[in-house]
Amino acid sequence: MMHHRNIFQNILKVSLFLLFIVTSHEIVSAEGGPCKDYGDCDEFKYSLNDIDSLQRGASTYINYCYGCHSLQYSRWGRVAQDLEIPEDIFFENLVFDKSIKSGDLMTGAMPEESATWFGVEPPDLTLVSRYKGDDWIYSYLRAYYEDSSKQYGVNNLVYPGTAMPNVLLSLQGNQRLVCKDIPKIAKNGGEKRDNDGNPIMIEKCGFLEVQEGTGSLSKEEFDKLIYDLTNFLVYVGEPIKATRERIGWYVVFYFLIFTALSSLLYREFKKDYKK
Amino acid sequence: MSEMAGKLFSWLNNRLPIVNTFERHLSKHPVPSKVNFWYLFGALAAVTLIIQIVTGIWLIMPYSNTEEQAFSSIEYIMRDVDYGWVIRYMHTTGASLFFAVVYLHMFRGLLYGSYQKPKELVWIFGCTIYLAMMAEGFLGYVLPYGQMSYWGAQVIISLFGAIPYVGESLELWVRGDYYISGITVSRFFALHVVALPLILIALVFLHLVALHEVGAGNPEGVDIEEHLDEDGVPLDSVPFYPYKVLNGLVAIGVFMTVFAIIMFFFPEGGGYFIEMANFQEANPLVTPDHIAPVWYYAPFYTMLRAIPDPLGGLIVMAAAVAIFFIVPWLDRSKVASIRYKGIYSKIAITLFGVSFLTLGYLGTVGVTEIRKIMSIICTIIYFAYFLLMPIYTKYEKTKEVPTRL
Repeated sequence: MMHHRNIFQNILKVSLFLLFIVTSHEIVSAEGGPCKDYGDCDEFKYSLNDIDSLQRGASTYINYCYGCHSLQYSRWGRVAQDLEIPEDIFFENLVFDKSIKSGDLMTGAMPEESATWFGVEPPDLTLVSRYKGDDWIYSYLRAYYEDSSKQYGVNNLVYPGTAMPNVLLSLQGNQRLVCKDIPKIAKNGGEKRDNDGNPIMIEKCGFLEVQEGTGSLSKEEFDKLIYDLTNFLVYVGEPIKATRERIGWYVVFYFLIFTALSSLLYREFKKDYKK
Repeated sequence: MSEMAGKLFSWLNNRLPIVNTFERHLSKHPVPSKVNFWYLFGALAAVTLIIQIVTGIWLIMPYSNTEEQAFSSIEYIMRDVDYGWVIRYMHTTGASLFFAVVYLHMFRGLLYGSYQKPKELVWIFGCTIYLAMMAEGFLGYVLPYGQMSYWGAQVIISLFGAIPYVGESLELWVRGDYYISGITVSRFFALHVVALPLILIALVFLHLVALHEVGAGNPEGVDIEEHLDEDGVPLDSVPFYPYKVLNGLVAIGVFMTVFAIIMFFFPEGGGYFIEMANFQEANPLVTPDHIAPVWYYAPFYTMLRAIPDPLGGLIVMAAAVAIFFIVPWLDRSKVASIRYKGIYSKIAITLFGVSFLTLGYLGTVGVTEIRKIMSIICTIIYFAYFLLMPIYTKYEKTKEVPTRL
């Protein structure tokens, strides 16, 4: 057993050393994150058991997004069922094309020739939460700002040069990039102060700020709207996700019991040849 | 009734070696009485192979191997097929864990000299299984026809183009088209679900037959055949049933717990088991920002990238896998187990393990100058472990191996 421990100690030591080299280097060379000019993406925590949130998100999606962005792998009836909306209410309020049936795929409402309206075809968003990530969506939809140099008068910090206009502008209001005086931070993480003890201020730009009174929702209400919308996109990306995580506990529990029982049995039998 | 069954059984047994084979290879098969956890990964690899075959069969039923429907049929499985998501996630998780247990199984072989005389053939069949698995994994990865399927296949198939003279025609022959298309998908499908599984099963069978012929090893490197009881059974062995079956059951329990945690809570494995870009349908016009192979190919991909010349990279990558085959003849040590080998062997295998892991890490991230240098250093360490083996195993001081377990 002695030799054994030595090997592991050696492996551990050398690994730690190499790990140190790699990580210290990684910190220095941190690449631009997925949220680009926005900095780190805002963290998004989905709550797929919050049916109300998913219902609100679905409603926002169908009213504001579905006109351009299909959900081609998702079926109308499945959404109604998973979101616990009675089918008659669902079809009356959220399905505008009355020829659509419950089992139909949500293939979009755009006419064929519209593909070039925005320079690019608006992508299908069924799986956007899986290839972009929920953090990205949550940040992106809140990172539009006024930029008169762009075709639709807006640009986006998360996706600079995005082809999509800010569809939710009337709700959010006019967001701009502003400069602010903020306390200078010392190397130790504390605020820098002058000799009189007042914090030293420096001007920093690139903050997002909504012009007051231009949107119909407050900042909190708008963030909530985007939360629900993102939550819905997480659901649509993998409708089974909530069920999967629920079943998972039972399966893991089963295998833990299985492991415990089989190891008790093995221990008993091992007594035959081991003292 | 039971008399009838007994008669039927003896009728069968007189014509087919049922009892004999069962006792010889399963119930009474003698295995070393003292092994450690490293000796369980072979059984786990077998379990994973069975999981892959069974879930694979069920995935074939709703999957569509056409350019138009490959990607959407996966979403159909995930959404519209009852419990299709269970089958699919079992298959994706199984693929990664298959490689994980096989890597650990191979490392066990290097640690305890499981390739030494007379186990050379067991080792060679094992290496061939690994080679077949790499092909099987690559072919399967193309089938969902996502962005990473497409561009990964593009990179790998273009490797054939680096071969002199025949490269370009070979590339075209493998692809079946001038670019990756439905033709490529359907031929990869045929190879993935029929050809390679047949080869894999045959190789696993040979691996086990050869193993049972020469007997399983142990972490001490003791030859248990040297001390037999009056019936010719090794004194330091126990029958496979019930002892090893129960030991295996515990291992399977632990393994399946890990399996379940991954497949139910982290099926994408943080982007390492199912890459995010693969949730976007293949698009020949848009290259993903950063093409990374799945983690289990990453060490070899790093070596490929470390060499600026494509043919040189291909040769190094192929050599990195091929070199495993000759390990039985590279090791000149008198002892099998690392426990009794000298300090050089211990340093060598440690450096090898660390360089392999580092190569793996480097293969999943983008290239920078310092990472390039590290790739080259680790590639050199990787090959030095094998190429210097005849020297350091021959001239180091080994310890005395006990005669009994």
